[in-house]
Amino acid sequence: MLEIKNLHVVVEEDGTEILKGVNLKINEGEIHAIMGPNGSGKSTLAKVVAGHEAYEITDGDILFEGESILELDPDERAHLGLFLAFQYPVEVPGVTNKTLLREAYNTIAKERGREELDPLEFEDYVHERLDIVEMKPEFLDRSINAGFSGGEKKRNEIFQMAVLDPKISFLDETDSGLDIDALKIVSKGINHLAGENNAICLVTHYQRILDYIVPDFVHVMLDGKIVKSGDKKLAVELEEKGYDWLNDLASVSVNGEQK
Amino acid sequence: MPDIKKQDTFLSDLLAKETSLNGKSTAIKKLRQKGLEDVQKTSFPGRKDEDWRFISLRELYSDSYIPASQIEVTLPDISELFIEESKNARLVFVNGRFSADYSSTDALPEEVTLGNIADLSADGEALVDKHLNAYGDFEDDIFSSFNTAMLQDGAFIHVPKGMKVDTPVQLLFVQTDADEPYFTTSRCLILAEEDSEITVVEDHVGVGENKYFSLPVVEVNLERGAYVKHTKIQRESMQAIHIARTAAHLKQHSNYESYTITIGAKLSRNEPRITQLEEEVEFTVDGLVLIDGDQVSDTHSVMDHRFSHCESHQLHKCVINGKAHSVFNGKIFVRKDAQKIDSFQENRNLLLSRKGLVNTKPQLEIFADDVVCTHGATIGHLEEDEVFYLKSRGLNDHQARELLTYAFALETIENITVDSVQELLVDEVHNYTSRTLQNQD
Repeated sequence: MLEIKNLHVVVEEDGTEILKGVNLKINEGEIHAIMGPNGSGKSTLAKVVAGHEAYEITDGDILFEGESILELDPDERAHLGLFLAFQYPVEVPGVTNKTLLREAYNTIAKERGREELDPLEFEDYVHERLDIVEMKPEFLDRSINAGFSGGEKKRNEIFQMAVLDPKISFLDETDSGLDIDALKIVSKGINHLAGENNAICLVTHYQRILDYIVPDFVHVMLDGKIVKSGDKKLAVELEEKGYDWLNDLASVSVNGEQK
Repeated sequence: MPDIKKQDTFLSDLLAKETSLNGKSTAIKKLRQKGLEDVQKTSFPGRKDEDWRFISLRELYSDSYIPASQIEVTLPDISELFIEESKNARLVFVNGRFSADYSSTDALPEEVTLGNIADLSADGEALVDKHLNAYGDFEDDIFSSFNTAMLQDGAFIHVPKGMKVDTPVQLLFVQTDADEPYFTTSRCLILAEEDSEITVVEDHVGVGENKYFSLPVVEVNLERGAYVKHTKIQRESMQAIHIARTAAHLKQHSNYESYTITIGAKLSRNEPRITQLEEEVEFTVDGLVLIDGDQVSDTHSVMDHRFSHCESHQLHKCVINGKAHSVFNGKIFVRKDAQKIDSFQENRNLLLSRKGLVNTKPQLEIFADDVVCTHGATIGHLEEDEVFYLKSRGLNDHQARELLTYAFALETIENITVDSVQELLVDEVHNYTSRTLQNQD
């Protein structure tokens, strides 16, 4: 479904190279986890897939269902079925969750040739989706993320994913800032949404969320490259040993990182 | 042709022509005479005047204007401008002239007076003669003097003691299309007696795309415990010049809540001036400005806290596109011994283009020591992070920017209690954003 080939990425503003040749293939029905220390480039990878304009791709390609998406704007990628759950969801005072979601849902529906929902139909649909992340209906009428707690923001990201029904979702540090109860709810929601026809890629620093969501593949990212891939046992190993033992797999040492 | 630059001949010309019209009462004649004298003592402002240094009045001085009464009136159907809630509580003025045909006051209780200043004064309405020009305390201001010298038709509202009026009153000032630039003035006098309540929608509309000069003056007096909600919508022609003054006087326990929306006119200036006359009052002077192209909007406000225990609020938001220019100068006075004042002022500017210009100047003069005055001014573009967030959810660039601009503007209009006015403004915001997002530079 998604194939990342030899991806090299620099920060547009200052030319700093963040991704140094990433290769990754994600198929339908799979759950992947990309793990790595801070600064390894895993969040950048998620943002680049979503089309963030702060980064410039200097080499390589990203293929979605066989077609390059590098020239597509973030919204066009969303129309194809890509989704990014943000590490730091943006607050948008004055726009309610419902307004955004209905406009987003209908735009995507139109692009994908599905039927748009009128306000009443959307109301029914959205309420049913709320249950997936155990959110109260009042959430719908609140401004997007404005005044939300860290946990509420993360839950709201998964709720948006539930409404928009993407084909592939990158979940960037969705577990950070969640207490154990919220983590269980969010994990349950993600498991509910994972299916035969979609794929999920968890981007995470810690193994904790993987106690609740079992990945088919675990990748370790160091210094802008995926240096090791394996199954869920790799995550356990990382939890025990940290990332240091993998340093010699990275061609360049991880500069200035806390270990 | 009379030339506004030659004020002496311009005015006498205008007045000579106006004597045959309404406003024949002695009281109004006297006021006009006084206005004329004041005009002759005052000069037109220019860049050297501190209060006018941010904008150029060349747009005003570059043309000659004929009195609005001399132009031929061709009026399109204006019924779509009528506010649903004010169905029979409406005064309409066309080019400054009262139109009895379009006006209707049936929805109001008998005790409430709503009518044309000139007619009421001619009929011996003592309240008009007593209060007219008593609150417009703009010193050495040629524009308000000009307005007084031209006094004739205008809106008069009197709400008697204890009367709470549910029906909002619409004061609709329609400026028509014409081949020549013309000059029009209008006047409003709103008197809210003790413990009375009224909602007023002051609506200035240009139906053409022509140049004219509109000069309205509004006076509001709130007696003890009175509550006046005043929304002003300025949607003049995009070539028009609109220079307005609004003065409100507040007595104990009164509350004046005003929202000024600026959408039209090439050059507009609003000068709200709120004066506290007794202890314990509350007021709001919020504003929303949506400008584009080469529009200039200037707001010079004065919040004069003269006695203790006052809560005041001013949120002034501006959205600027194209080469438009927005000016905000917000004066807050807290006089000696006016303690326990809680005053909030914020001017937020959203620049959608690179060439837009903003001048903002909070100006606080505080002579008491137990006061809380928060003030702030910000100028910014749309946050690219917010745009990206919305785009990643599938909204295109236009939708994302429109939604964010709309959200920015919304805060200043969501407290307006007349539903159809809110709807109208939401539409205006949408019109503005879809128009501006198509031609950014």
